[in-house]
Amino acid sequence: MSFFADAFHLFVRSMKKLVRNPILVFFSLFQPIIFLLLFTQLFSGLGRFLGAGLLSYTAFATAGIVLQNAFSSAFQSGTAVVDDIKSGFLSKMLATPVNRSAILFGRLLSDVFRVVVQTVIILILAYALGVFPAVGAIGYLLVIFIVAFFGLAWSGISLALGLKTKSAETVFGIAGAVTFPLLFMSTALVTAGFMPGWMQTVSTFNPVSIAVNAIRNPITGCNVNQTMCNIGLDWNTILQAFGVIGGIGIVTLGATLYLFRKVVS
Amino acid sequence: MTGIIDVSQLVKTYGDGTKAVKGISFSVNEGEFFGFLGPNGAGKSTTIKILTTLLQKTSGSASVAGFDVVADAPKIRKIIGVQNQDTVVDEDLTGRENLVLQGQLQQMHATAIRERVDELLKIVDLADAADKRAGFYSGGMKKRLDLATTLVHNPKILFLDEPTTGLDPQSRAAIWAYLKKLNEQGITIFITTQYLEEVDRLCRRLAIVDLGEIVAQGSPADLKQEIGADSISLGFENSSMNGGGDTRKRAREVLQNKFDRISNVVDSDIGLTVYAKNGSYMVPELVRAFDEAQIRLSTIGVSSPTLDDVFLKHTGKRIRVEEVSSTNMRGMFGRRRR
Repeated sequence: MSFFADAFHLFVRSMKKLVRNPILVFFSLFQPIIFLLLFTQLFSGLGRFLGAGLLSYTAFATAGIVLQNAFSSAFQSGTAVVDDIKSGFLSKMLATPVNRSAILFGRLLSDVFRVVVQTVIILILAYALGVFPAVGAIGYLLVIFIVAFFGLAWSGISLALGLKTKSAETVFGIAGAVTFPLLFMSTALVTAGFMPGWMQTVSTFNPVSIAVNAIRNPITGCNVNQTMCNIGLDWNTILQAFGVIGGIGIVTLGATLYLFRKVVS
Repeated sequence: MTGIIDVSQLVKTYGDGTKAVKGISFSVNEGEFFGFLGPNGAGKSTTIKILTTLLQKTSGSASVAGFDVVADAPKIRKIIGVQNQDTVVDEDLTGRENLVLQGQLQQMHATAIRERVDELLKIVDLADAADKRAGFYSGGMKKRLDLATTLVHNPKILFLDEPTTGLDPQSRAAIWAYLKKLNEQGITIFITTQYLEEVDRLCRRLAIVDLGEIVAQGSPADLKQEIGADSISLGFENSSMNGGGDTRKRAREVLQNKFDRISNVVDSDIGLTVYAKNGSYMVPELVRAFDEAQIRLSTIGVSSPTLDDVFLKHTGKRIRVEEVSSTNMRGMFGRRRR
């Protein structure tokens, strides 16, 4: 019982800290919003070259932008844990009977909550730009669910890095170095058919592509290559994404748990 | 094994081979105000971390309230309050929220937390600022809040690592007065500090550690009596006027050759400190002897033994009180660990 109560109290603490530092939310939302408002306009002509050319580029890119947001938001999670180590707050918590795993769980819970809120903001903005799920409201739920799942797995990487390096700068540095290559070598912003051959190969195995395809299908209602639309939900793609993200999550969260135990003992 | 804190042959060797604690033994009685003193790097913080279950010992044994620090760590955490050397409050939360969170981490009931937090806010004089974010608090207020967070669950034992360092004299006095009151209510206090006057006034017993070993322990009165001598502090004029840099060495020779009642001579910042019985009677002779040896004195002072002398005798160092300005330095150049 104490596990859930402890995790909840620490979740509330993280939420309060977030609400009181809106600048942090602003920074991680800034890039996705610029992409949504400007990048999609810059490349609006691209829509007719992608797949069967049935889509606006904005509708196509929304999935990629949602994922990019999940990336940058998750990476701040590692810096928050570094803050708690450096300030001594973690030690202070550890001198109390609080459930050890709950410290980690409360953190992850708030990360997921945050990614969801930011995703909702982006989806509302996209809606204003004329993008809404081809499969109806259930599409929104699916998008949010996949993003939350992806955010959880990705927070694991960020937390593990934070626990291992104990340096916020390192976490940010690695985040920056990793985000764009993974994003550009994926189907986040163009279809695979648009890429050179080698990149198509990379993209096929890139977890970002797998996640983004699953997020895109409920929005566009098209198949992965955008050659056929109005196909409804493509469960193959969606379930594949859950499998891959789940696998990544088990590894990253396992590593986080292991490193956290080492810090705690 | 009868004390509320029992430490026996405790050893801590860090992963890099540093021997921070080299087999110390001591015991603290229930209700005692116990001072744990030592120069920087003596092993004080390491010992506190082991006793508060934050660090694993290498060997030896340690128990708190009869609970083993390893096997019964969760039980210990419920009955101790721990204040870190660096002030630790969440600056994004209000004073009240900090206290409530601490109560929640201590797994107290919501109603109990509410009552206790109201009470504590009044006690540490933060009731008016309770709903302001701690980030806006002054250094003294943060320290008081930090202290209050260690008390939410009515701990039996308080571990305080430098609770007043970096505070202005007024805040310092307030904290000491409050600690005294807590101790009178029966809470055992285990404290490291650099303020020896307060230790002398409040601590019933103390231990001095140096380089990971206990070099002295006992009551302040006993330890001072052990010195059994007045201290005469000699300051020399700058060395160029004294014919070379070896003023201390020459002065030591003079002392050795001409005085037989001296029990000890120790280097000090300004020159030498000489320990001798009935020190005041020696002053004229000392002045004459140094004059003959052409060593110029800038100051000379006699005092009966203080804890400062006890500390100097056992560690060869004077305890240095960090003044308020040093906290700014800390903020600028990052945290220091001790």
